[in-house]
Amino acid sequence: MSEEQVFDLSVKASLDNLQQIRSYIDRAGERLGVNERTLGDLRLVVDEAVTNVVLYGYEGVDGTIELHMHADGDAVIIRIRDRARSFDPSQVSAPQLDTALKDRPFGGMGIYLIREMTDEAEFLPRPGGGNEIRLTKRGAIQSTRGQSQVPE
Amino acid sequence: MATLNILVGHAQGNVPVTVLRVEGDIDAATHKILQDKAAEVIDTGSTHILLDLGGVNYMGSAGFRAIHAISNMLHKDDTPGLLKSTHLKLLNPTDPVARVIKTLGFDVYLDIYQDRDTAVNSF
Repeated sequence: MSEEQVFDLSVKASLDNLQQIRSYIDRAGERLGVNERTLGDLRLVVDEAVTNVVLYGYEGVDGTIELHMHADGDAVIIRIRDRARSFDPSQVSAPQLDTALKDRPFGGMGIYLIREMTDEAEFLPRPGGGNEIRLTKRGAIQSTRGQSQVPE
Repeated sequence: MATLNILVGHAQGNVPVTVLRVEGDIDAATHKILQDKAAEVIDTGSTHILLDLGGVNYMGSAGFRAIHAISNMLHKDDTPGLLKSTHLKLLNPTDPVARVIKTLGFDVYLDIYQDRDTAVNSF
């Protein structure tokens, strides 16, 4: 039998809350036993996902973002939910990494980082409107601290 | 309110170099502070900038948008196609920032140094 640790955060969709969200990832990740390098990746991908929700989902309209983080074996799963307009990441062009910077268009880096630094990144519509971004990072847990094992 | 501290210094390499020492997290809420400070020093005559990232523990894609914009400002008169910047270089990025620099391919565009004097004298 194992007791699962789940960490939730609900915040106003605002760029001013990015620091608070990264701190939440740090605290939850530390409790789950996530190694430091992976924690850096999780901070980054969540920051990028939330930034996209604020800038391109809610577009300045008041809204809420809910975050949910838990461990599944050695993987960390993070869900980011909103009630913003639907978002199709396939419409975002990948950055042109082999093009001179002066000739390279802006944009596309956030989605690219999310895909590069997770094992799975799913962008799902929510019933009733909004989106859920489900991020999976495998091999993230370095010990059993994230799952309190009860001796038999 | 998100903040970012930027200290402006000057050094002499083969040309005058403006050193921007950044302290704080560079995200979508703060990247404009860096971009605006760089625009300010460029407007007042700086042509070569060393961006000291030793005090930055977090930088997301917004920070790279700012660096991209700064590079474009410094290279506005160059012919297209130049790959490595001769006007903008990076100093002492922390491990998490260096990892993102590499993932986004910015190490192809910008020289990265660990030592300030070596960086300044490379201009």
